[in-house]
Amino acid sequence: MKYFLSLNIVFILLLTACDPVKKSQLSPSGKGSFKIPVWSSPFLKGFEKALFHTSLDVAGKHLSGISIIKRTSDTSFHFTFANEIGMTYLDMEVFRKTYKADYIFEALNRKSFLKVLWSDFSMMLFSSSERKPVRMYLDNESEESVYFFLRQSMYTWINTKEMNLTRLVGWSNYFDAVMINFSEYDAGFPSEIKISNPRIRMVLTFSLLGH
Amino acid sequence: MRTFKVFITVMILCFGSTLLQAQTKPLSFADAEDVRKTISESAKTTNSIEAGFTQTKELSVIREKIISAGVFYFKKEKLLRWEYKEPFPYLIIFNSNKIYIKDDDKENHISLQSNKVFREVNNILIGAVQGTLLSDTKNFQCSIADLHNQYQATMVPLNARIKETLSEIILYFNKSDYTVDKLVMREVSGDYTRIEFSGKKINQNIPDEIFFIP
Repeated sequence: MKYFLSLNIVFILLLTACDPVKKSQLSPSGKGSFKIPVWSSPFLKGFEKALFHTSLDVAGKHLSGISIIKRTSDTSFHFTFANEIGMTYLDMEVFRKTYKADYIFEALNRKSFLKVLWSDFSMMLFSSSERKPVRMYLDNESEESVYFFLRQSMYTWINTKEMNLTRLVGWSNYFDAVMINFSEYDAGFPSEIKISNPRIRMVLTFSLLGH
Repeated sequence: MRTFKVFITVMILCFGSTLLQAQTKPLSFADAEDVRKTISESAKTTNSIEAGFTQTKELSVIREKIISAGVFYFKKEKLLRWEYKEPFPYLIIFNSNKIYIKDDDKENHISLQSNKVFREVNNILIGAVQGTLLSDTKNFQCSIADLHNQYQATMVPLNARIKETLSEIILYFNKSDYTVDKLVMREVSGDYTRIEFSGKKINQNIPDEIFFIP
């Protein structure tokens, strides 16, 4: 038990030391107490399905095509990504704590890559203000409010004027930081979403075609 | 009410399958050879094709469709311009041993000699629009069935690499001019893509500039 405790402390220290967010761009705000906004992933608020022009760059390879994200239950989404001619690259069900791969194109069928992808999707699809943030900052450039959630080790950017989620930054696993940007909101849903995992050189972009 | 439901189910099972069999009549080996020869002869005299297409990808697990549309130009021997207009512009040009892809502002040049996957995509697309895929006995096992006004050629891949992705390709040939009306690619995953051609123009003059790779 003692061993696990010290191991956890080491990991927390490591995570804090390798923070994926540049602290120079943030100013501490709302010292003592601050108002906690109610927010959730745009995929949770009455979302059914959306079609995206999608591109995936990973380890020097570029794939493009069309993807669909469909909510299949209160706790699951289905993600399918196919090239323009129609051949499927990825077909998977995403749950908050696991995933089920229905079909994966051979070149992408690597467990470590799929785990990172699932973790990123889990953050993008299921994040919400169900937990209380421990710190609040102000982004010096965008002037957006930034909240830090210790349990998920995740930073959340909120445009408080529009009450839109604009950015999530956290960890896909102990080694891979992830940045998810939501932009070009139209009727409460982002038209552009970009997921970046710098360590594995992965960039996944979604441009909304319809929902 | 329950008896009625059972009765309806039995009727559908009995007559539904009979109806399907009546619509698709597999050809004997000799008849299939004749059709194959006729299609092959027709392909020899086809120097160019221009057509519109509608592509529907059916996602089996979530029962959704992704629909795209565009135009294509083919010119003998190996020039193909496959251009999507909907839901977003996307262009592929196959010119001899080179491929050019334009996706939004991104341009990509690929050599067919160094890329096996694109070489197979090129062979399948050109073979399908021209009808010459039927003669590719090295990579496909083919069976032909007679439909009302079409011949249905079912191509099962023999090539291990193609088999990883596709379980079969079905080509529908128009009986009046032996050109391809429709193409269905069934994937191992259970999904399939249907490409339907419209407004076909055969042997019209298509300028070479259409296939120019910048």
